[in-house]
Amino acid sequence: MSPDNNMNILKSVLILLMIIFSGCGKSNKHAVDKYHDSLNEIERAGRFSLEKKNGVTEIKIIDPWQGADGVNQVYYLMKRGSELPKGSDSSKVIFVPLKKIICMSTTYLSMISAVGEEETVTGVSGTNFVYSPVIRQNVEKGLVMDVGYEANLNKELILKISPDLIMIYGIGSESSGYLGKIKELGIKVLINADYLETDPLGRAEWIKLFGALYCKENLADSIYKSEVDQYIKLKSFIAQNIKSRPKVMLGLPFKDTWYISPGNSFISNLITDAGGEYLWMDAKSSVSMPYGIENVYLKGLKADYWLNIGTAASKNEISNVDPRLNELPCFKNDNLFNNNKRITANGGNDFWESGSLYPHLLLNDIAEILHPELFLDRELIYYKKIN
Amino acid sequence: MKTAISNKLITEHNSGRKAILILFGLFSLVVSLLILDIFLGSVTIKPSEVIKAIFNTSHSEFQTIIMKFRMPKAITALTVGVALSLSGLQMQTVFRNPMAGPYVLGISSGASLGVAFVILGFSSNITPETLSGLGNWILVVAAWAGAGAVMLLIMAISSRVKDIMTILILGIMLSGGISAIVTIMQYFSNESMLKSYVLWTMGSLGNLTANQLNVLLISVSAGMFLSLFLSKMLNALLIGENYASSIGLNVKFARTVIFICTSILAGSVTAFCGPIGFIGIAVPHIVRILFKTSDHKVLVPGTILMGGAVMLFSDIVSQLPGSESVLPVNAVTSLIGIPVVIWVILRNRKYSGSF
Repeated sequence: MSPDNNMNILKSVLILLMIIFSGCGKSNKHAVDKYHDSLNEIERAGRFSLEKKNGVTEIKIIDPWQGADGVNQVYYLMKRGSELPKGSDSSKVIFVPLKKIICMSTTYLSMISAVGEEETVTGVSGTNFVYSPVIRQNVEKGLVMDVGYEANLNKELILKISPDLIMIYGIGSESSGYLGKIKELGIKVLINADYLETDPLGRAEWIKLFGALYCKENLADSIYKSEVDQYIKLKSFIAQNIKSRPKVMLGLPFKDTWYISPGNSFISNLITDAGGEYLWMDAKSSVSMPYGIENVYLKGLKADYWLNIGTAASKNEISNVDPRLNELPCFKNDNLFNNNKRITANGGNDFWESGSLYPHLLLNDIAEILHPELFLDRELIYYKKIN
Repeated sequence: MKTAISNKLITEHNSGRKAILILFGLFSLVVSLLILDIFLGSVTIKPSEVIKAIFNTSHSEFQTIIMKFRMPKAITALTVGVALSLSGLQMQTVFRNPMAGPYVLGISSGASLGVAFVILGFSSNITPETLSGLGNWILVVAAWAGAGAVMLLIMAISSRVKDIMTILILGIMLSGGISAIVTIMQYFSNESMLKSYVLWTMGSLGNLTANQLNVLLISVSAGMFLSLFLSKMLNALLIGENYASSIGLNVKFARTVIFICTSILAGSVTAFCGPIGFIGIAVPHIVRILFKTSDHKVLVPGTILMGGAVMLFSDIVSQLPGSESVLPVNAVTSLIGIPVVIWVILRNRKYSGSF
């Protein structure tokens, strides 16, 4: 057995351990970085690793979709113009820096902007949902095309653009299926799993992927570091100054089913760090769980604040979903805040677009809602009060 | 000769008494399931607390759960079960087809097309605010119109084509065509319209506002009372149109009345609760097996009771009592209905005698 093989076995054991431990739902959510091996330059993100060897960057996307278990997708980033080693699988090699990219989700745009590469975006799925003003201008100028969505992908347009990379989000093992034809034609496809990160800083760390793709690693590292510094500073400020932990509920019902974000999710971590108590902290799961509406209503009676209320922009819209919700104390007390302050006419929401990269702003918003006395002169960025 | 006739009369008399007994049993079943549906839910509440909540006016949190969540849901379940099963029975008799039902023949799809026109088509004028007042009636009338249009089309076809299978296949084709039109409408509509439509298609019993429940109750009661008076017509039609006209029944008139009744029943349910499958087709068969008769004077009340019972049972199962999660009620009705339908298909030869 070659040492290289040993290394691989060691790595898969480590990943397995990581999955087992993260599955245990330990409250210590930063424990994840302990299980990365030392070569890896990623601290907090649990869904990808990044290693540099002999001028080649190996990117591994770990369990790239919800429910994936032990699935790794490996890509090799090589400098543009360098030659492929003999016998290597060219479909796994991405030449960097990227000159043209198609994004199947708008959440990648803010990270591309942050490394100053907006002009490389030549295609987006759903240009109507783009919030970034620069990209929107480019859409109007015809520099960014709408490539359609999954089942209705405009394959001819993609071929015409012939991007260096299509970045997609994984929604299931079949999700890469709809791009099978595109891959067959030699266009590289990379699954971005940032939305599965439950640690807000871990999600922001995906900026390092873009650093690697655009050969701007130092810039990406410094953006990430400054984000970590600000987030941690703010978090400890909140922890030292709060006197109580207001109870928080989330979401809206779909008919008589209410999908509940589990207590180990991205948003519940933000609420905890912001000095709140999420009412479903005990629910541990990797996916949202369908709860009966009467169940949620009963618990919701205890809530002091109600956040992320679907797409609701007014109390009226909430009543229209279900008039019984008017009876909740947080509704009566006007403690309703939604994350849709920055949206496009078609419902594209900057909370998901730039919010992923700036978790300290999300944290600050939620902390300001829950503890207004600590942030007197600050205006909310992503959230707005619902009246 | 004389004894033979009196024997026959006695058996008929006996079977009539037996039917009344079964009907009474079914009625008690409906009542107990209704009570069970109120007592069981995803929140576990002690029976004593439930009774207190029903009779006590004190403002406990359980009272809201019982009076605002479970009561309306249970009443909706009962109404939906009655309406869908009755419309299924009427369609099976009119088309003389054991496989007819609102879902299978595309009547539900027709109603959904009507709803899609309201939600997706003209929604620049119809905001959610208007939908909560007069809008409920707009929605329900659109669903009636859609259901009625499909019924008319199927009726026109079935007057030319006598083959049961052909009409069934046409029903499936119609559903397919309608869902294609709806897909195109969805494709060109904006996100909020799309969302409200998709929400509607999910089908549920527990989301009706008091206003909507009133509209549903009024329409279904109207349809139900109409059906009770239609039993004679249905019996005559079941034997055959020639027979029906020979005893002086105006077949065209009878059919029209029955179709209006069916469209109101199936359309109202579809308008508020979304498409709910397989209740309409399965329940009448369960009732025929139970009563061993094809007399609509027995079948109509039997179907009303059995439909309510099956739907209440489905609702109880979908709440998964004791767990926090819930199942979509659609999935439960399909799981109950499909085995019945398969059973009917498998023994269709033996069974087709009653059609």
